Amino acid sequence: MRILVVEDEPRLLRTLAKALREEGYAVDTAESGDEGLYKAQTYDYDAIVLDIMLPRLDGWQVLERLRRAKATPVLMLTARDATQDRVRGLDTGADDYLVKPFDLSELLARLRAVIRRAAGQAASRIQLGDVVVDTRARTVTRAGQPVALTAREYAILEYLALHRGQVVSRTALYEHLFDETDDTLSNLVDVHVFNIRKKLGHDLITTRRGLGYCIEA
Amino acid sequence: MFLHSIRWRWLLWLAFLLVCVLSGFGFTVFQLQRLNLLGQIDQQLERRVAALSRALRAVPPVDPGRGWPRADGPPALPPPDPSLKLLPAPGRGWPEPFRPSSRRDARPWEARWEQRQVRLPPDVAELFDESRTNGFYYAIWSRGGTMLRRSTNCPATIQRPQRQPDTLTRIRTRGMLREAFHFTELGDCVLAGRSMAEDLDGLRRFVWWLLAAGGAVLAIGLGGGWWLTTHAIRPVEQISAAARRIAEGNLAERIAGADADNELGRLVAVLNSTFARLEAAFDQQKQFTADASHELRTPIAVLITEAQAALARPRTAAEYRETIEACLATAQQMRRLTDSLLDLARLDAGPATLNRQPVDLAALAGDCIQQVRPLAARRNIHIESELRSAPCCGDPDRLTQLITNLLTNAIHYNQDGGTVCVSTRPDGAGVRLTVSDTGQGIAPEDLPHIFDRFYRADKSRARAEGRFGLGLAICKAVVQAHGGTIQVSSAPGQGSTFEVWLPGSPGT
Repeated sequence: MRILVVEDEPRLLRTLAKALREEGYAVDTAESGDEGLYKAQTYDYDAIVLDIMLPRLDGWQVLERLRRAKATPVLMLTARDATQDRVRGLDTGADDYLVKPFDLSELLARLRAVIRRAAGQAASRIQLGDVVVDTRARTVTRAGQPVALTAREYAILEYLALHRGQVVSRTALYEHLFDETDDTLSNLVDVHVFNIRKKLGHDLITTRRGLGYCIEA
Repeated sequence: MFLHSIRWRWLLWLAFLLVCVLSGFGFTVFQLQRLNLLGQIDQQLERRVAALSRALRAVPPVDPGRGWPRADGPPALPPPDPSLKLLPAPGRGWPEPFRPSSRRDARPWEARWEQRQVRLPPDVAELFDESRTNGFYYAIWSRGGTMLRRSTNCPATIQRPQRQPDTLTRIRTRGMLREAFHFTELGDCVLAGRSMAEDLDGLRRFVWWLLAAGGAVLAIGLGGGWWLTTHAIRPVEQISAAARRIAEGNLAERIAGADADNELGRLVAVLNSTFARLEAAFDQQKQFTADASHELRTPIAVLITEAQAALARPRTAAEYRETIEACLATAQQMRRLTDSLLDLARLDAGPATLNRQPVDLAALAGDCIQQVRPLAARRNIHIESELRSAPCCGDPDRLTQLITNLLTNAIHYNQDGGTVCVSTRPDGAGVRLTVSDTGQGIAPEDLPHIFDRFYRADKSRARAEGRFGLGLAICKAVVQAHGGTIQVSSAPGQGSTFEVWLPGSPGT
């Protein structure tokens, strides 16, 4: 999962990015509204964490301009907690709203929820035959037995599971799993998929030659 | 209960005044009517008494044969009544009493006088309508008290009036009877009377009419008063209702009717301007509180996120150290912010919180320049100063804060290698401090706001350097608490100049 964090307080931005990376997300950051808007329009993020009080373009303006082109899930982050601010945020197109100061665990849970909803999955547990992906605990079980996956392997499996029934290209997988600072080779995706098949069975992920990977619905 | 209502009190007063005026008026009218009635009756009675008196005096029947009164008839002129206090005409005296020539003794004559026949000429008799019980009646007594004649309708209870010492006509009232009487010079008494029963009935009816008319006027007056008070009270009630709604929290509401050019219109205008100022003050306070809470929420969010992220999994000592350092820096940022907020709150409380003493602004400015020199040197900024002794009366700590804020601003917004000019000098009744820089200047749209709390012209850079937008607000608060003025002029791209004027002594 690749996430964009737009926040003008540098310490909060750094800490958030660090915490999200530790959760297995690929994280891009922006310190101003126009930089955030540019990145949000350029890449397909799985979710955007957007502060409202931003220099140059504020959060409302970024959201409004982004919504003209994209439906990326947006979690608004602000110190304003008046009901009218929340209503305005949700009406402008935000998917959720979190008031500062917030609990990190709540932010992570809401982020998981908006990503899940955007992918059309309501439950936090995804059943794929005898394999169960628990997006809340970030664990995978096969026939009730826990299976140990690396963070990258889990991320690929979760992405494919959330988009089951769709063919996901290597480039898309790469874009959603590695942030802008990563310059690993794209064939790493194939290595990870090979490892997942080894642990969870060969039929779980099918390869569509020339198109990408897919988990059948 | 309803006595607490102005309307009811007005109405009660109105009713009281109306009743006073109406009863005074009614009593006067009643009295005039009564006196008029009595006057008319008395006039009629007096006329009849006079006629009776004339008729009585013409009585002496003359003996046609002798030219004197007949010996058996009543004598003509008896001596004047001795009880009469009549003054004799000068030089003449009263005529000798008539004595009959036959020299009979006085007793039979007096007896005859007492028993003489009195007849009334027809023109006098027709003045008394004897057939009517309530009509005019008369009675005539001779000197000795013998009733000589009385009309048939004369009440049986009639008595001769008390003897009077003169011959004036007098009026008396016996029950419902009004009587006029008169003693002639010879001591005879004539009386004319009349029953007043009908007249008093009429007067009573008149009183009822008066009461009815007075009641009607009172009712109309009170109705008019009700209408008037309703119209007079309605704007007051509207004002009070609107004021209540405003007091309940709807500060944006205004009272209608401020355009009326009367007492209420002026009151409404005053109230509305008061509410407008209240609303502005509330809005300012609300904005300040929102800004302050926003500025405090962000570092708290940093603290919580840092701590929760650090606690989420085991860390190395270096990572913990990094987290604690970040928390410390954030806490210090919060301390600077709360210090600034506290300064503002103290300055807002007024000049009483100042520790005023005689200070030389030039000396303070010199100290401040020494303090900020390292900061300026880091960006190769040159500080020029022209400090002329400028004695004034102020709080040295606050004034140092003011000058330091202006200097750090001038350095912060300057370009590398630029210049900051500081000057102090006496000016009029006070002292003047000028700080100018050669920086980027202030955009015209920002100029009116730079002294506002939490206002930042350049939002992006400001946050990153831990500035809250309170520095110039504190400067303004310091200057205002000292009773001075602060002004800014700026040309974008050429720099800004801040001018502070402070009074020389607290009173000026």
